[in-house]
Amino acid sequence: MLKALKYLLNFEWLSGVGMGAAKSIFLILFVVIGILVLLIPKDYIYEGVENRRWWHNLKLWAWGDLVFIFITYYIF
Amino acid sequence: MLSGIDYFVVIVYMAGIMLLGLYFKRFVHSSQDYFLAGRMMPFWAIGMSIVVSDIGAQDFVGVSGQGYMFGISVGNFDWIGSAPAMLLAAFIFVPYFWKAGLYTIPEYLGKRYNDYVRTLASATWIVFFAFNLGVIFRASAILLETLMGWPVWFSIILTAVVVGLYTIFGGLTAVVMTDVIQMIIMFIGGAAVVFLGFYNVGGWHGLVEKMSAMGPEYQNRFDLVQPIDTQTPFPWTGILFGLTFVMANAYMIGNQAVVQRCLSAKNEWHAKASMVWGAFLKMFIPILVLFPGLIASVLHPGLEDGDKAFPTLIGSLLPPGLGGLLFAALLAGLMSSIDSYLNSTATLWTKDIYQKFIRKEATDGHYLAVGRIATVILLIVGVLTSPVSEYFPGMYVAIQTFLSFFQGPIFSILLLGIFFRWITPSGGLAGLVGGMMVSILLFVNRSKLFTIQEPFLYVSWWSFVAGFVITIVVSLFTTPHPVERLYGFVYRLEKTENETVN
Repeated sequence: MLKALKYLLNFEWLSGVGMGAAKSIFLILFVVIGILVLLIPKDYIYEGVENRRWWHNLKLWAWGDLVFIFITYYIF
Repeated sequence: MLSGIDYFVVIVYMAGIMLLGLYFKRFVHSSQDYFLAGRMMPFWAIGMSIVVSDIGAQDFVGVSGQGYMFGISVGNFDWIGSAPAMLLAAFIFVPYFWKAGLYTIPEYLGKRYNDYVRTLASATWIVFFAFNLGVIFRASAILLETLMGWPVWFSIILTAVVVGLYTIFGGLTAVVMTDVIQMIIMFIGGAAVVFLGFYNVGGWHGLVEKMSAMGPEYQNRFDLVQPIDTQTPFPWTGILFGLTFVMANAYMIGNQAVVQRCLSAKNEWHAKASMVWGAFLKMFIPILVLFPGLIASVLHPGLEDGDKAFPTLIGSLLPPGLGGLLFAALLAGLMSSIDSYLNSTATLWTKDIYQKFIRKEATDGHYLAVGRIATVILLIVGVLTSPVSEYFPGMYVAIQTFLSFFQGPIFSILLLGIFFRWITPSGGLAGLVGGMMVSILLFVNRSKLFTIQEPFLYVSWWSFVAGFVITIVVSLFTTPHPVERLYGFVYRLEKTENETVN
Protein backbone atom coordinates (compact mmCIF):
# COMPACT_ATOMS: atom_id res chain seq x y z
CA MET A 1 0.00 0.00 0.00
CA LEU A 2 2.72 2.43 1.02
CA LYS A 3 4.76 1.42 -2.02
CA ALA A 4 1.84 2.14 -4.35
CA LEU A 5 1.26 5.49 -2.67
CA LYS A 6 4.92 6.44 -3.04
CA TYR A 7 4.80 5.38 -6.68
CA LEU A 8 1.89 7.76 -7.23
CA LEU A 9 3.01 10.69 -5.09
CA ASN A 10 6.57 10.78 -6.43
CA PHE A 11 5.49 10.64 -10.07
CA GLU A 12 7.42 7.42 -10.57
CA TRP A 13 4.79 6.56 -13.17
CA LEU A 14 6.40 9.28 -15.30
CA SER A 15 9.93 7.94 -14.87
CA GLY A 16 9.83 6.53 -18.41
CA VAL A 17 9.66 10.03 -19.87
CA GLY A 18 13.12 10.97 -21.12
CA MET A 19 14.76 14.30 -20.39
CA GLY A 20 14.39 15.40 -24.01
CA ALA A 21 10.67 14.69 -23.90
CA ALA A 22 10.35 16.45 -20.55
CA LYS A 23 12.02 19.54 -21.94
CA SER A 24 9.70 19.41 -24.94
CA ILE A 25 6.70 19.40 -22.58
CA PHE A 26 7.90 22.69 -21.10
CA LEU A 27 8.40 24.23 -24.53
CA ILE A 28 5.02 23.01 -25.78
CA LEU A 29 3.42 24.58 -22.72
CA PHE A 30 4.73 28.01 -23.73
CA VAL A 31 3.43 27.54 -27.26
CA VAL A 32 -0.01 26.51 -25.96
CA ILE A 33 -0.15 29.58 -23.71
CA GLY A 34 0.77 31.74 -26.70
CA ILE A 35 -2.10 30.26 -28.69
CA LEU A 36 -4.53 30.85 -25.83
CA VAL A 37 -3.40 34.47 -25.63
CA LEU A 38 -4.07 34.77 -29.36
CA LEU A 39 -7.66 33.65 -28.81
CA ILE A 40 -8.48 36.41 -26.31
CA PRO A 41 -10.99 38.88 -27.84
CA LYS A 42 -9.44 42.23 -28.79
CA ASP A 43 -12.07 44.30 -27.00
CA TYR A 44 -11.31 42.49 -23.77
CA ILE A 45 -7.60 43.27 -24.15
CA TYR A 46 -8.27 47.00 -24.66
CA GLU A 47 -10.85 47.36 -21.86
CA GLY A 48 -10.16 50.66 -20.09
CA VAL A 49 -8.20 52.26 -22.95
CA GLU A 50 -9.72 55.45 -24.38
CA ASN A 51 -7.49 56.06 -27.39
CA ARG A 52 -6.25 52.75 -28.69
CA ARG A 53 -2.66 52.55 -29.90
CA TRP A 54 -0.82 49.45 -31.14
CA TRP A 55 1.28 49.34 -28.01
CA HIS A 56 -1.85 49.00 -25.88
CA ASN A 57 -2.23 45.52 -27.32
CA LEU A 58 -1.29 43.36 -24.36
CA LYS A 59 -1.15 40.29 -26.56
CA LEU A 60 2.11 41.65 -28.00
CA TRP A 61 3.46 42.15 -24.51
CA ALA A 62 2.48 38.62 -23.51
CA TRP A 63 4.11 37.13 -26.59
CA GLY A 64 7.28 39.05 -25.75
CA ASP A 65 7.30 37.38 -22.33
CA LEU A 66 6.69 33.98 -23.86
CA VAL A 67 9.41 34.32 -26.51
CA PHE A 68 11.91 35.27 -23.80
CA ILE A 69 11.04 32.28 -21.62
CA PHE A 70 10.87 29.90 -24.58
CA ILE A 71 14.42 30.82 -25.60
CA THR A 72 15.65 30.44 -22.02
CA TYR A 73 14.24 26.92 -21.71
CA TYR A 74 15.38 26.01 -25.22
CA ILE A 75 18.98 26.94 -24.32
CA PHE A 76 19.09 25.46 -20.82
CA MET B 1 33.21 45.17 6.04
CA LEU B 2 32.05 48.52 4.67
CA SER B 3 34.21 51.62 4.43
CA GLY B 4 33.25 55.18 5.37
CA ILE B 5 31.84 56.04 1.95
CA ASP B 6 29.77 52.85 2.03
CA TYR B 7 28.20 53.81 5.34
CA PHE B 8 27.41 57.22 3.87
CA VAL B 9 25.65 55.62 0.88
CA VAL B 10 23.63 53.34 3.15
CA ILE B 11 22.56 56.14 5.48
CA VAL B 12 21.60 58.43 2.58
CA TYR B 13 19.63 55.59 1.02
CA MET B 14 17.71 54.75 4.18
CA ALA B 15 16.96 58.37 4.97
CA GLY B 16 15.96 59.06 1.37
CA ILE B 17 13.57 56.13 1.18
CA MET B 18 12.02 57.06 4.49
CA LEU B 19 11.50 60.69 3.46
CA LEU B 20 10.13 59.66 0.06
CA GLY B 21 7.69 57.30 1.73
CA LEU B 22 6.63 59.89 4.26
CA TYR B 23 6.05 62.39 1.42
CA PHE B 24 3.14 60.24 0.25
CA LYS B 25 1.40 60.66 3.58
CA ARG B 26 -0.22 63.78 2.09
CA PHE B 27 -2.17 61.62 -0.36
CA VAL B 28 -3.76 59.46 2.33
CA HIS B 29 -7.17 60.79 3.33
CA SER B 30 -9.29 57.64 3.37
CA SER B 31 -9.03 53.90 3.89
CA GLN B 32 -9.14 53.44 0.11
CA ASP B 33 -6.15 55.77 -0.22
CA TYR B 34 -4.35 53.78 2.47
CA PHE B 35 -5.13 50.26 1.28
CA LEU B 36 -5.54 50.77 -2.49
CA ALA B 37 -3.55 53.95 -3.17
CA GLY B 38 -6.79 55.68 -4.17
CA ARG B 39 -7.03 53.32 -7.20
CA MET B 40 -4.75 55.69 -9.13
CA MET B 41 -1.65 53.60 -9.76
CA PRO B 42 -0.11 53.20 -13.26
CA PHE B 43 0.88 49.78 -14.58
CA TRP B 44 4.63 50.42 -14.62
CA ALA B 45 4.78 51.25 -10.92
CA ILE B 46 2.59 48.27 -9.99
CA GLY B 47 4.64 45.85 -12.10
CA MET B 48 7.90 47.05 -10.58
CA SER B 49 6.40 46.90 -7.11
CA ILE B 50 5.16 43.33 -7.60
CA VAL B 51 8.59 42.17 -8.68
CA VAL B 52 10.63 43.91 -6.02
CA SER B 53 8.22 42.88 -3.28
CA ASP B 54 8.61 39.29 -4.31
CA ILE B 55 12.39 39.52 -4.30
CA GLY B 56 13.92 40.27 -0.98
CA ALA B 57 17.17 39.83 0.86
CA GLN B 58 15.99 36.27 1.47
CA ASP B 59 16.21 35.63 -2.27
CA PHE B 60 19.72 37.02 -2.56
CA VAL B 61 20.73 34.70 0.27
CA GLY B 62 18.34 31.79 -0.22
CA VAL B 63 18.24 31.54 -4.03
CA SER B 64 21.98 32.12 -4.30
CA GLY B 65 22.36 29.39 -1.70
CA GLN B 66 20.16 27.02 -3.68
CA GLY B 67 22.02 27.96 -6.88
CA TYR B 68 25.29 27.23 -5.10
CA MET B 69 24.06 23.81 -3.99
CA PHE B 70 21.96 22.71 -6.98
CA GLY B 71 22.70 24.94 -9.98
CA ILE B 72 20.50 26.83 -12.39
CA SER B 73 17.38 24.72 -11.80
CA VAL B 74 16.35 27.01 -8.94
CA GLY B 75 15.81 29.65 -11.65
CA ASN B 76 12.62 27.81 -12.54
CA PHE B 77 10.91 29.72 -9.75
CA ASP B 78 11.32 33.06 -11.50
CA TRP B 79 10.96 31.84 -15.08
CA ILE B 80 8.36 29.14 -15.53
CA GLY B 81 7.24 29.83 -11.98
CA SER B 82 6.18 33.37 -12.88
CA ALA B 83 5.42 34.18 -16.51
CA PRO B 84 2.62 31.67 -17.24
CA ALA B 85 0.94 32.38 -13.90
CA MET B 86 1.19 36.14 -14.33
CA LEU B 87 -0.38 35.91 -17.78
CA LEU B 88 -3.24 33.82 -16.37
CA ALA B 89 -3.67 36.38 -13.62
CA ALA B 90 -3.53 39.28 -16.08
CA PHE B 91 -6.13 38.00 -18.50
CA ILE B 92 -8.53 35.99 -16.31
CA PHE B 93 -8.46 36.77 -12.60
CA VAL B 94 -7.21 40.33 -12.10
CA PRO B 95 -9.80 42.00 -14.38
CA TYR B 96 -12.63 40.40 -12.38
CA PHE B 97 -11.04 41.28 -9.06
CA TRP B 98 -10.49 44.87 -10.20
CA LYS B 99 -13.99 45.33 -11.64
CA ALA B 100 -15.52 44.04 -8.41
CA GLY B 101 -13.76 46.85 -6.50
CA LEU B 102 -12.23 44.40 -4.04
CA TYR B 103 -9.69 45.13 -1.35
CA THR B 104 -8.63 41.54 -0.65
CA ILE B 105 -8.60 38.10 -2.26
CA PRO B 106 -10.46 36.57 0.71
CA GLU B 107 -13.13 39.22 0.02
CA TYR B 108 -13.59 37.61 -3.40
CA LEU B 109 -13.78 34.19 -1.78
CA GLY B 110 -16.38 35.53 0.62
CA LYS B 111 -18.54 36.87 -2.20
CA ARG B 112 -18.05 33.80 -4.40
CA TYR B 113 -18.40 31.25 -1.57
CA ASN B 114 -19.19 32.38 1.99
CA ASP B 115 -17.79 34.12 5.05
CA TYR B 116 -16.27 30.92 6.45
CA VAL B 117 -14.05 30.56 3.39
CA ARG B 118 -13.22 34.26 3.50
CA THR B 119 -12.26 34.22 7.16
CA LEU B 120 -10.23 31.01 6.94
CA ALA B 121 -8.32 32.27 3.91
CA SER B 122 -7.72 35.66 5.47
CA ALA B 123 -6.57 34.24 8.80
CA THR B 124 -4.24 31.85 7.01
CA TRP B 125 -2.65 34.66 5.01
CA ILE B 126 -2.25 36.79 8.12
CA VAL B 127 -0.42 33.98 9.91
CA PHE B 128 1.73 33.28 6.84
CA PHE B 129 2.71 36.91 6.39
CA ALA B 130 3.68 37.18 10.03
CA PHE B 131 5.94 34.12 9.68
CA ASN B 132 7.26 35.39 6.37
CA LEU B 133 8.21 38.66 7.97
CA GLY B 134 10.21 36.67 10.50
CA VAL B 135 11.99 34.76 7.72
CA ILE B 136 12.89 38.01 5.94
CA PHE B 137 14.26 39.53 9.11
CA ARG B 138 16.29 36.41 9.73
CA ALA B 139 17.75 36.55 6.20
CA SER B 140 18.75 40.14 6.69
CA ALA B 141 20.36 39.29 10.01
CA ILE B 142 22.68 36.78 8.34
CA LEU B 143 23.68 39.37 5.76
CA LEU B 144 24.24 42.14 8.22
CA GLU B 145 26.20 39.93 10.54
CA THR B 146 28.53 38.84 7.74
CA LEU B 147 28.88 42.15 5.94
CA MET B 148 28.57 44.81 8.59
CA GLY B 149 29.38 43.02 11.79
CA TRP B 150 26.33 44.61 13.35
CA PRO B 151 24.46 42.86 16.15
CA VAL B 152 21.48 41.00 14.71
CA TRP B 153 18.78 42.63 16.78
CA PHE B 154 20.13 46.13 16.20
CA SER B 155 19.92 45.66 12.42
CA ILE B 156 16.43 44.26 12.58
CA ILE B 157 15.06 47.02 14.75
CA LEU B 158 16.69 49.77 12.65
CA THR B 159 15.13 48.36 9.49
CA ALA B 160 11.80 47.93 11.21
CA VAL B 161 11.74 51.57 12.26
CA VAL B 162 12.58 52.93 8.77
CA VAL B 163 10.12 50.69 6.93
CA GLY B 164 7.49 51.01 9.60
CA LEU B 165 7.42 54.79 9.54
CA TYR B 166 6.63 55.25 5.86
CA THR B 167 4.35 52.21 5.67
CA ILE B 168 2.31 53.31 8.65
CA PHE B 169 1.79 56.83 7.37
CA GLY B 170 1.99 56.54 3.58
CA GLY B 171 0.01 53.35 3.02
CA LEU B 172 0.07 51.52 -0.30
CA THR B 173 1.04 54.65 -2.27
CA ALA B 174 4.25 54.96 -0.25
CA VAL B 175 4.84 51.23 -0.52
CA VAL B 176 4.49 51.13 -4.31
CA MET B 177 6.41 54.33 -5.05
CA THR B 178 9.31 53.47 -2.75
CA ASP B 179 9.31 50.02 -4.37
CA VAL B 180 9.93 51.67 -7.75
CA ILE B 181 13.09 53.33 -6.43
CA GLN B 182 14.06 50.19 -4.55
CA MET B 183 13.76 48.05 -7.65
CA ILE B 184 16.08 50.33 -9.60
CA ILE B 185 18.64 50.27 -6.79
CA MET B 186 18.29 46.52 -6.38
CA PHE B 187 18.87 45.91 -10.09
CA ILE B 188 21.93 48.19 -10.17
CA GLY B 189 23.45 46.70 -7.01
CA GLY B 190 22.69 43.11 -8.03
CA ALA B 191 24.03 43.65 -11.54
CA ALA B 192 27.27 45.05 -10.10
CA VAL B 193 27.87 41.81 -8.18
CA VAL B 194 27.11 39.66 -11.23
CA PHE B 195 29.36 41.79 -13.43
CA LEU B 196 32.28 41.58 -10.99
CA GLY B 197 31.65 37.88 -10.50
CA PHE B 198 31.77 37.15 -14.20
CA TYR B 199 34.86 39.30 -14.52
CA ASN B 200 36.58 37.15 -11.88
CA VAL B 201 35.61 33.78 -13.37
CA GLY B 202 36.37 34.73 -16.98
CA GLY B 203 32.88 35.44 -18.23
CA TRP B 204 30.10 32.98 -18.96
CA HIS B 205 32.37 30.55 -20.79
CA GLY B 206 34.87 30.69 -17.94
CA LEU B 207 32.12 29.86 -15.48
CA VAL B 208 30.89 26.90 -17.51
CA GLU B 209 34.40 25.55 -18.13
CA LYS B 210 35.52 25.89 -14.53
CA MET B 211 32.38 24.31 -13.16
CA SER B 212 32.53 21.45 -15.62
CA ALA B 213 36.09 20.77 -14.49
CA MET B 214 35.02 20.52 -10.87
CA GLY B 215 33.73 16.99 -11.22
CA PRO B 216 30.85 14.89 -12.51
CA GLU B 217 28.46 16.10 -9.82
CA TYR B 218 28.63 19.56 -11.41
CA GLN B 219 27.75 18.38 -14.93
CA ASN B 220 24.03 19.13 -14.69
CA ARG B 221 24.34 22.46 -12.89
CA PHE B 222 23.24 24.25 -16.07
CA ASP B 223 20.16 22.14 -16.69
CA LEU B 224 16.85 23.81 -15.89
CA VAL B 225 14.99 20.54 -16.37
CA GLN B 226 16.12 17.98 -13.82
CA PRO B 227 15.34 14.23 -13.87
CA ILE B 228 12.69 12.70 -11.63
CA ASP B 229 15.29 10.91 -9.52
CA THR B 230 17.35 14.06 -8.92
CA GLN B 231 18.56 14.62 -5.39
CA THR B 232 17.72 18.31 -5.69
CA PRO B 233 14.25 19.51 -4.56
CA PHE B 234 13.51 20.40 -8.22
CA PRO B 235 12.66 17.33 -10.37
CA TRP B 236 10.88 18.32 -13.59
CA THR B 237 7.67 16.73 -12.41
CA GLY B 238 7.68 18.90 -9.31
CA ILE B 239 8.50 22.00 -11.36
CA LEU B 240 5.73 21.29 -13.87
CA PHE B 241 2.95 20.03 -11.61
CA GLY B 242 3.79 21.60 -8.26
CA LEU B 243 5.33 24.90 -9.32
CA THR B 244 3.92 25.78 -12.75
CA PHE B 245 0.40 24.44 -12.33
CA VAL B 246 -0.16 25.20 -8.66
CA MET B 247 2.29 27.23 -6.60
CA ALA B 248 3.01 29.87 -9.22
CA ASN B 249 -0.67 30.42 -9.92
CA ALA B 250 -1.54 30.37 -6.26
CA TYR B 251 1.15 32.93 -5.58
CA MET B 252 0.34 35.30 -8.41
CA ILE B 253 -3.45 34.98 -8.20
CA GLY B 254 -4.15 34.19 -4.57
CA ASN B 255 -1.44 36.20 -2.84
CA GLN B 256 -2.83 39.35 -1.27
CA ALA B 257 0.52 41.15 -1.39
CA VAL B 258 0.71 40.68 -5.16
CA VAL B 259 -2.89 41.16 -6.21
CA GLN B 260 -3.56 44.13 -3.92
CA ARG B 261 -1.25 46.19 -6.09
CA CYS B 262 -3.24 45.32 -9.20
CA LEU B 263 -6.41 46.33 -7.40
CA SER B 264 -4.89 49.80 -6.98
CA ALA B 265 -4.62 50.27 -10.78
CA LYS B 266 -6.23 53.34 -12.33
CA ASN B 267 -8.26 51.27 -14.80
CA GLU B 268 -8.74 47.71 -16.00
CA TRP B 269 -6.10 47.95 -18.74
CA HIS B 270 -3.49 49.14 -16.24
CA ALA B 271 -4.44 46.28 -13.92
CA LYS B 272 -3.84 43.72 -16.68
CA ALA B 273 -0.74 45.44 -18.04
CA SER B 274 0.87 45.56 -14.60
CA MET B 275 1.00 41.76 -14.49
CA VAL B 276 2.32 41.34 -18.04
CA TRP B 277 4.98 44.02 -17.44
CA GLY B 278 5.84 42.40 -14.11
CA ALA B 279 6.29 39.04 -15.86
CA PHE B 280 8.85 40.64 -18.17
CA LEU B 281 10.82 42.13 -15.28
CA LYS B 282 10.70 38.82 -13.45
CA MET B 283 12.73 37.19 -16.23
CA PHE B 284 15.80 39.14 -15.10
CA ILE B 285 15.57 38.21 -11.45
CA PRO B 286 17.49 34.90 -11.69
CA ILE B 287 20.41 36.81 -13.20
CA LEU B 288 20.58 38.90 -10.04
CA VAL B 289 19.86 36.31 -7.38
CA LEU B 290 20.87 32.97 -8.89
CA PHE B 291 24.02 33.72 -10.86
CA PRO B 292 25.94 34.90 -7.76
CA GLY B 293 25.40 31.40 -6.33
CA LEU B 294 26.78 29.79 -9.49
CA ILE B 295 29.77 32.13 -9.44
CA ALA B 296 30.36 31.45 -5.74
CA SER B 297 30.39 27.70 -6.38
CA VAL B 298 33.43 28.26 -8.62
CA LEU B 299 35.19 30.93 -6.57
CA HIS B 300 34.39 29.52 -3.12
CA PRO B 301 33.73 25.78 -3.43
CA GLY B 302 33.23 23.65 -0.34
CA LEU B 303 30.91 25.84 1.72
CA GLU B 304 28.70 23.57 3.81
CA ASP B 305 25.85 26.05 4.14
CA GLY B 306 24.56 27.36 0.80
CA ASP B 307 23.10 30.40 2.54
CA LYS B 308 26.65 31.58 3.20
CA ALA B 309 27.51 31.65 -0.52
CA PHE B 310 26.23 35.15 -1.29
CA PRO B 311 27.69 36.91 1.75
CA THR B 312 31.02 35.15 1.17
CA LEU B 313 31.04 36.15 -2.49
CA ILE B 314 30.36 39.81 -1.93
CA GLY B 315 32.84 39.86 0.93
CA SER B 316 35.56 38.75 -1.49
CA LEU B 317 34.46 40.63 -4.62
CA LEU B 318 33.39 44.14 -3.84
CA PRO B 319 35.92 46.99 -3.87
CA PRO B 320 35.51 49.87 -1.39
CA GLY B 321 32.66 52.15 -2.48
CA LEU B 322 30.54 49.46 -4.06
CA GLY B 323 29.76 47.78 -0.77
CA GLY B 324 27.39 50.54 0.19
CA LEU B 325 25.57 50.29 -3.12
CA LEU B 326 25.11 46.57 -2.78
CA PHE B 327 24.06 46.87 0.81
CA ALA B 328 21.50 49.46 -0.26
CA ALA B 329 20.29 46.99 -2.91
CA LEU B 330 19.90 44.26 -0.31
CA LEU B 331 18.12 46.62 2.00
CA ALA B 332 15.88 47.61 -0.91
CA GLY B 333 14.87 43.99 -1.42
CA LEU B 334 14.35 43.53 2.27
CA MET B 335 12.40 46.71 2.86
CA SER B 336 10.18 46.30 -0.18
CA SER B 337 9.13 42.87 0.98
CA ILE B 338 8.49 43.97 4.52
CA ASP B 339 6.44 47.03 3.59
CA SER B 340 4.31 44.91 1.24
CA TYR B 341 3.56 42.28 3.81
CA LEU B 342 2.81 44.89 6.43
CA ASN B 343 0.36 46.79 4.25
CA SER B 344 -1.31 43.67 2.89
CA THR B 345 -1.72 42.08 6.28
CA ALA B 346 -3.13 45.28 7.70
CA THR B 347 -5.62 45.30 4.82
CA LEU B 348 -6.62 41.69 5.46
CA TRP B 349 -7.07 42.32 9.15
CA THR B 350 -9.01 45.55 8.74
CA LYS B 351 -11.28 44.48 5.87
CA ASP B 352 -11.78 40.76 6.44
CA ILE B 353 -11.67 40.45 10.21
CA TYR B 354 -12.17 43.80 11.94
CA GLN B 355 -14.76 45.36 9.64
CA LYS B 356 -16.52 42.03 9.15
CA PHE B 357 -16.72 40.75 12.73
CA ILE B 358 -15.57 43.32 15.26
CA ARG B 359 -17.01 46.68 14.17
CA LYS B 360 -19.19 46.69 11.09
CA GLU B 361 -20.41 50.27 11.14
CA ALA B 362 -17.71 52.83 11.76
CA THR B 363 -16.37 55.90 10.04
CA ASP B 364 -13.83 55.56 7.27
CA GLY B 365 -11.32 57.39 9.46
CA HIS B 366 -11.76 54.71 12.09
CA TYR B 367 -10.80 51.95 9.64
CA LEU B 368 -7.85 54.01 8.47
CA ALA B 369 -6.64 54.22 12.08
CA VAL B 370 -7.21 50.47 12.56
CA GLY B 371 -5.06 49.78 9.47
CA ARG B 372 -2.23 51.87 10.85
CA ILE B 373 -2.37 50.28 14.31
CA ALA B 374 -2.43 46.82 12.72
CA THR B 375 0.72 47.74 10.78
CA VAL B 376 2.54 48.63 13.99
CA ILE B 377 1.51 45.40 15.72
CA LEU B 378 2.52 43.29 12.71
CA LEU B 379 5.92 44.91 12.60
CA ILE B 380 6.49 43.90 16.20
CA VAL B 381 5.23 40.34 15.54
CA GLY B 382 7.54 40.03 12.51
CA VAL B 383 10.57 41.03 14.54
CA LEU B 384 9.70 38.68 17.38
CA THR B 385 9.05 35.65 15.13
CA SER B 386 12.33 35.92 13.23
CA PRO B 387 14.03 33.13 15.26
CA VAL B 388 11.50 30.55 13.93
CA SER B 389 13.29 30.25 10.57
CA GLU B 390 16.36 28.89 12.34
CA TYR B 391 14.62 25.54 12.61
CA PHE B 392 14.57 25.10 8.84
CA PRO B 393 17.71 24.19 6.89
CA GLY B 394 17.29 26.67 4.01
CA MET B 395 15.38 29.92 4.17
CA TYR B 396 13.95 29.74 0.71
CA VAL B 397 12.74 26.23 1.32
CA ALA B 398 11.29 27.38 4.62
CA ILE B 399 9.14 29.97 2.88
CA GLN B 400 8.00 27.51 0.24
CA THR B 401 7.13 25.01 2.94
CA PHE B 402 4.93 27.52 4.70
CA LEU B 403 3.32 28.35 1.38
CA SER B 404 2.75 24.77 0.33
CA PHE B 405 0.39 24.12 3.24
CA PHE B 406 -2.38 26.27 1.84
CA GLN B 407 -1.42 27.57 -1.59
CA GLY B 408 -2.69 24.49 -3.41
CA PRO B 409 -6.10 24.34 -1.73
CA ILE B 410 -6.69 28.08 -2.07
CA PHE B 411 -5.82 28.01 -5.76
CA SER B 412 -8.11 25.01 -6.31
CA ILE B 413 -11.15 26.89 -5.03
CA LEU B 414 -10.16 30.12 -6.81
CA LEU B 415 -9.83 28.26 -10.09
CA LEU B 416 -13.07 26.33 -9.76
CA GLY B 417 -14.89 29.35 -8.37
CA ILE B 418 -14.07 31.69 -11.23
CA PHE B 419 -14.74 29.19 -14.04
CA PHE B 420 -17.78 27.20 -12.86
CA ARG B 421 -21.01 28.70 -11.53
CA TRP B 422 -22.21 25.34 -10.14
CA ILE B 423 -19.42 25.16 -7.56
CA THR B 424 -21.07 25.65 -4.17
CA PRO B 425 -20.11 27.48 -0.97
CA SER B 426 -20.01 24.18 0.95
CA GLY B 427 -17.82 22.70 -1.76
CA GLY B 428 -15.38 25.59 -1.52
CA LEU B 429 -15.14 25.37 2.26
CA ALA B 430 -14.71 21.59 2.22
CA GLY B 431 -12.09 21.84 -0.53
CA LEU B 432 -10.10 24.47 1.32
CA VAL B 433 -10.15 22.69 4.70
CA GLY B 434 -9.69 19.22 3.21
CA GLY B 435 -6.85 20.36 0.97
CA MET B 436 -5.04 22.01 3.87
CA MET B 437 -5.42 18.87 5.98
CA VAL B 438 -3.98 16.77 3.17
CA SER B 439 -1.01 19.10 2.77
CA ILE B 440 -0.26 19.02 6.50
CA LEU B 441 -0.54 15.20 6.53
CA LEU B 442 1.81 14.93 3.55
CA PHE B 443 4.29 17.31 5.12
CA VAL B 444 4.29 15.53 8.47
CA ASN B 445 4.86 12.15 6.76
CA ARG B 446 7.19 13.48 4.05
CA SER B 447 10.13 11.26 5.00
CA LYS B 448 7.97 8.13 4.56
CA LEU B 449 6.11 9.24 1.45
CA PHE B 450 8.56 11.19 -0.71
CA THR B 451 11.91 10.30 -2.20
CA ILE B 452 13.29 13.83 -2.77
CA GLN B 453 14.59 16.37 -0.30
CA GLU B 454 12.06 19.00 0.81
CA PRO B 455 9.13 17.84 -1.35
CA PHE B 456 7.16 21.08 -1.07
CA LEU B 457 6.42 21.08 -4.80
CA TYR B 458 4.81 17.66 -4.62
CA VAL B 459 2.94 18.58 -1.44
CA SER B 460 1.46 21.65 -3.10
CA TRP B 461 0.39 19.68 -6.18
CA TRP B 462 -1.28 16.86 -4.27
CA SER B 463 -2.98 19.23 -1.84
CA PHE B 464 -4.27 21.14 -4.89
CA VAL B 465 -5.61 17.89 -6.35
CA ALA B 466 -7.23 17.03 -3.02
CA GLY B 467 -8.85 20.47 -2.73
CA PHE B 468 -9.97 20.30 -6.35
CA VAL B 469 -11.59 16.88 -6.04
CA ILE B 470 -13.21 17.57 -2.66
CA THR B 471 -14.67 20.86 -3.92
CA ILE B 472 -16.20 19.18 -6.97
CA VAL B 473 -17.58 16.19 -5.08
CA VAL B 474 -19.16 18.26 -2.32
CA SER B 475 -20.54 20.73 -4.88
CA LEU B 476 -22.35 17.90 -6.65
CA PHE B 477 -24.39 17.26 -3.50
CA THR B 478 -24.99 20.80 -2.26
CA THR B 479 -26.76 23.93 -3.47
CA PRO B 480 -24.91 26.65 -5.41
CA HIS B 481 -25.54 30.38 -5.08
CA PRO B 482 -28.27 31.74 -7.37
CA VAL B 483 -26.81 33.00 -10.65
CA GLU B 484 -27.66 36.64 -9.96
CA ARG B 485 -25.38 36.59 -6.90
CA LEU B 486 -22.48 35.37 -9.01
CA TYR B 487 -22.50 38.15 -11.62
CA GLY B 488 -19.04 39.62 -11.87
CA PHE B 489 -17.44 36.80 -9.91
CA VAL B 490 -17.52 34.02 -12.51
CA TYR B 491 -15.68 34.21 -15.83
CA ARG B 492 -17.93 35.42 -18.69
CA LEU B 493 -20.96 35.51 -16.42
CA GLU B 494 -22.01 39.11 -16.86
CA LYS B 495 -25.34 40.89 -16.47
CA THR B 496 -27.05 41.49 -19.80
CA GLU B 497 -28.23 45.01 -20.57
CA ASN B 498 -31.87 44.02 -19.95
CA GLU B 499 -31.08 42.61 -16.53
CA THR B 500 -29.14 45.72 -15.58
CA VAL B 501 -32.06 47.95 -16.58
CA ASN B 502 -34.56 45.79 -14.69
